[in-house]
Formats: sequence, structure tokens, C-alpha cells
Amino acid sequence: MTIVVAYKWAPNPQDAAVRSEGTVDFTRAKSTISEYDPVAFELARRVADSTGAQVVGVTVGDASIDTSLARKAALSRGLDRLVIVADDRLVGADSTRLAAVLATVVRRIGDVDLVLAGESSVDVTEGQVAMTLAGQLGWLGLNAVSSVSASDGGYAVERDVPSGTVSMVVTGPAVLATTADAVLPRVPGMKDILGAAKKPVEVLSLDALDVPSAQVTLTTLSTSRPAAGNRQRVIIDGSDPTAAAAELVGALRAAKVL
Amino acid sequence: MNASSQTWIVVADDPAVSGLVVAARILSAEVTAVVAGRRATAESVVAAGVDRVLWLGEPAEGTPVEAYAPDVARTVAAGAPGAVLGSSEGAGRVMLGAIAALLQAPGLSGVTALERDGNQIGVTRSVFGGIAERRDLVTGGTAVIALAGGEISDPTGLAVPVEEVTANALTTGRLTGLRPKEKAPVNLRAARTVVAVGRGLKAKDDLALITDLADAIGGELACSRPLAEGVHWIAKDRNIGISGQQIAPELYVAIGISGQLQHMVGVRDADVIVAVNSDKDALIFKQCDYGIVGDLYTVVPALTAALAAKP
Ligand SMILES: Cc1cc2nc3c(=O)[nH]c(=O)nc-3n(C[C@H](O)[C@H](O)[C@H](O)COP(=O)(O)OP(=O)(O)OC[C@H]3O[C@@H](n4cnc5c(N)ncnc54)[C@H](O)[C@@H]3O)c2cc1C
Ligand SMILES: Nc1ncnc2c1ncn2[C@@H]1O[C@H](COP(=O)(O)O)[C@@H](O)[C@H]1O
Repeated sequence: MTIVVAYKWAPNPQDAAVRSEGTVDFTRAKSTISEYDPVAFELARRVADSTGAQVVGVTVGDASIDTSLARKAALSRGLDRLVIVADDRLVGADSTRLAAVLATVVRRIGDVDLVLAGESSVDVTEGQVAMTLAGQLGWLGLNAVSSVSASDGGYAVERDVPSGTVSMVVTGPAVLATTADAVLPRVPGMKDILGAAKKPVEVLSLDALDVPSAQVTLTTLSTSRPAAGNRQRVIIDGSDPTAAAAELVGALRAAKVL
Repeated sequence: MNASSQTWIVVADDPAVSGLVVAARILSAEVTAVVAGRRATAESVVAAGVDRVLWLGEPAEGTPVEAYAPDVARTVAAGAPGAVLGSSEGAGRVMLGAIAALLQAPGLSGVTALERDGNQIGVTRSVFGGIAERRDLVTGGTAVIALAGGEISDPTGLAVPVEEVTANALTTGRLTGLRPKEKAPVNLRAARTVVAVGRGLKAKDDLALITDLADAIGGELACSRPLAEGVHWIAKDRNIGISGQQIAPELYVAIGISGQLQHMVGVRDADVIVAVNSDKDALIFKQCDYGIVGDLYTVVPALTAALAAKP
């Protein structure tokens, strides 16, 4: 059996520049494995070690996601191999497009019974791609998964939902998006990084995949930069805490906030 | 596909749908709801004032609502509405994902405004964690939209019948138990003042410093994500930010919080932001109204004392 981990190589918008007309420039923001995806790597590895499954990392995106640094970063985190689709026709692809490509890759890998994903990506932060992937595959999709382990004839799954912790048994193929703190991911050591170079990487061409075409399209009418908010930025030196506190409380009272 | 001028909402066994109904009415006079889950949920949706309710039937014991996602998607696709709205939380994402996949339509999140332009839908949303805004026209079919679900509505208007639709839920997942949370969820959105703490706090025991200040100022306690999900010192429903609560209190006090994007989008609409941070170059000092550069361990007790003193 195979467990797929869908992960993203992406930059943090914190480091992006937003031009005055609202377009976003990511050129100075460095990409990494998306913040919470290592949680999915770790969970997948633990489950696979108990069942003998293999763990295959899958990522899709524009051409820039396939670098040796990006490959190593993923392969050093407990994967057995990697499958990449990197094509500039996927620049700015929406969650449905990404999920459609991911679904064709999962089908092609074949004997997959579990896809694990992160909570949400660092750049888009919607928590949508994995659940759309479930829809595309016709599989059960669950988010907020805080624990997965092999059990009789399937997987025991726990979910962290507003009312509490739900336990479930999953007996068929499923796509599970993890919580951000389901497990503490291991930090790759020198051995993992060196071992990564020897692991197989398969690069699939977008043309070789039978991806359904988009039926609904978006036409961008305008972009804008949200008003930064006119904050007053009154900064008080706190080296004398009592004086600083009195000054702040006085200011807040004068402003009728207190 | 030729989408109609109707707007539909999808409900994943969660009766808090006021936000979806209000948004749907912006786009269409008539609103149809597709409800997966218990009959009681379908009845609540009736009470929320929609024009038609399609219900997928009482779930068999142990069936999770997510198992209905393919049925929800098929039902929506058959109706071919111009827009379909669902919750951006929890199982809402699963329903929207199944719909988006079946219709091969983009899922739209972070929506700040919706408009109808003839037979087309215009959607304004914040993108990349809120650093930019984009207005798009949706063409070729259904606009698939994720929104905050809202609240449970008081009964309004005419009660329409609940129409049952045959469903064929997935059988690959079974619920086996629920351990309820010890504490009832907090509604930070209702608080006028919120006092939040971040990784500047060194130990869980030191939380007393922060709760003392929150008490003195009459505010609710909140936190940045690492305190809720890294160390579990504070309940997750008190996390402020893109993955937590988005609030607009009159006063927000951020203590030992660096001010990163994913946190600050949660308080963008606060009237006044106060920051206490030992690093004078912390990002938050560019995004606050008042800041004290200092050690929270000395500044916070001083603030609590200053609040106790009469003006
Ligand atoms: C997809 C995604 C979603 C996210 N969602 C959220 C979210 O919803 N909410 C959220 O908060 N974060 C979220 N994050 C995480 C976010 O990016 C930051 O990592 C997080 O907000 C940092 O928390 P912090 O400010 O408490 O910690 P840090 O960034 O570590 O900052 C701690 C601050 O404390 C100060 N400090 C240290 N000691 C003292 C002292 N003695 N006195 C005073 N100040 C002191 C330091 O100068 C520093 O500025 C998300 C990230 C991603 C990728
Ligand atoms: N381009 C991608 N390739 C592979 N997996 C992805 C991609 N984008 C998102 N994912 C997965 O889906 C999760 C949610 O992403 P998002 O919907 O963008 O918040 C991520 O944490 C990844 O696990």
C-alpha cells in the first residue's frame, strides 16, 4: 500500500512585497516546505512504519518548485520517494486546478489508500486543496485530523473539532488534512539529508496527465492593497515600567478607550 | 454549463447559517439550501428563512456528515445555481471541495464582497493571507464560495417544507466516539477588550500576569497560535489570526507577540491596538497605536497597577 503526502513548496506572504496597485511580488520571498506540511510527513511515516506501506510525497506547481533544494527538503523528511509536476501553466493555479492535477497523480500511483495533507498552505491559507482532492477522487475527505493509526481493516482517526475530539474508523480510501499540531515533526539530521539524495524522484509532464479542464473561469477586474490602517504608532520607552504604564493608561483614558 | 440566477447554500449539519443566508440574498431573491445531517439541522435552516430546503435524509448511526459530500455535490450540480455558498469551517470545506471538483470551478475564499452583474457574479476577496485584495468576475458556470457560516437565526418568515432527497453516502468512515471539550467555547467577537499573549511568555505559570491584567482592564484572554497549538497553554478557540478568530474589539492589547501577518489579520479591524514587546524592532510596533518597548515581566504588572489606581 501507498500513503501519499500532498505538500506544497511555497513562500510566506509575510516576506512578499505588495505593489501599490495590489499585485503581489514574491521574488524576494524564499520558498520552503509549507509550514504545516511536515506534520503530514511525520504522521505518514509513523503510520507507514507500522503497516509496511511506502510514503510518496506529491507536489504540483509552477516550474520553480522543482529545485534540488526543494527535492532534498521533502525527501529528508521521511518520504520513500517523490512525484513532482512542475509546469508554468500552473502559475497561480487555483485550489480546484491543483486538486485536479493531484488527483490524476494519485490515480497514477495506483495503490494509494490514504492521502495526508497539511492544515493549510503558508501562501494561500485556505485549507481547501486537500478537501477538493477528496471530491475529485470521490473519496472521504476529513479535515482537522489530529491522529491517525492503523487499526483492524483500516485506520483509527481522531479529529479536533469545536465540540471536542471525535474518534472514527476509516475503512476505505480517504484524504485527511491534519491539524497544525497533530504531531511534532522530526527535524532532519545530516543522515536524512544525505539519504535524500539517493531517493527516487519522478517528474511527470502535465501533458501526460489526463487533467479535466476548468469549466468556470475567473477574470480579474481589479487588485488593490488593503489600507494599512492608520495606526498612531506612539512608542513609549519601557525602561521605567511604572512611568511607561502611567503614560499608556493616561493616553488610553484620554482617548476614551478605557 | 449554464448557471441559473439562483443562489444555493450548502449546510454540513451546522445550524449556524445566518451569514450564508444574508450573503445569498445579496445575489438572489430566492435561496435554496441543501442540508446534509440531522433533520433538526434542516428545520433550523428552514427557520433561518430560506425558500427551499433539500435534505439528504437522516444519517445512519455513525455516519459522518462528510460522507454526504458527493451527494451534496450531485444535488447542487443538478440545480446548476449561479452561486453556491458554504461554510469555510470544518465540514463546509469538504462540501465545497466536492462541489468545486464536480463542477471544475475554482473555490473562492476570503470573500469580502459579493455582487451580481446581470447573470455574472463578482467576488472581492483578500488573497495570500490578506496582503492584497482582488476582484474577479466568475464566468462559465457556478461561483463556489466559502464564507463564515454565521449564527443560528431566530425563526423568521414562512416555514417551507423540508424536501427529502435520496442520498447514497460514502460508507468508508464511521464515527465511534466523542470526547467533549471541558470548557464551553468563548465568544471573543463579543468582547470590547481583548488581552492577548504570545511567545514572549516564558512559562505557563506566568499566565497569571496576563490574566491579572485582563481582569484589571475588563478584557477577555486571547493568544497567538504558538501558545494555543504549540504548547497548549491556552485553548485553541482563543487563538487570534487567520487560522483562529478574527475580531474587532475596541481595544486589543498584544503582549510578547511579534506581529506577523497571520496573527495581525485577526485584529485588523480593532479600534485601538496596544503592544508590549522587548524588541524595539518588532513588526508589531509598525501596526499598533501605542507600544511599550520593554520586558513584559515588568511592564505588565506595572500596567495592572496603573489601571487599579484612580485617574
Ligand atoms: C498557514 C499559517 C497560519 C497561521 N495562523 C496563525 C494564527 O491564526 N494566529 C497566529 O497568532 N499565528 C498564526 N500563524 C503563525 C504566525 O506566522 C507566527 O508564527 C505567530 O503568530 C508568532 O507568534 P508570536 O508572535 O507569539 O511568537 P514570536 O514570533 O516568536 O514572537 C514572540 C515575541 O515576543 C517578544 N518577547 C520575547 N520575550 C519578551 C519579554 N520578556 N517581554 C516582551 N516581549 C518579549 C519577542 O520580541 C517577539 O517579538 C500561522 C502561520 C501559518 C504559516
Ligand atoms: N500545489 C500543491 N501540491 C501539493 N499539495 C498541496 C498543494 N497546495 C496545497 N496542498 C496541500 O493542501 C494543503 C492545504 O492547502 P491550501 O488549501 O492551499 O491551504 C496543504 O497543506 C498541502 O498539504
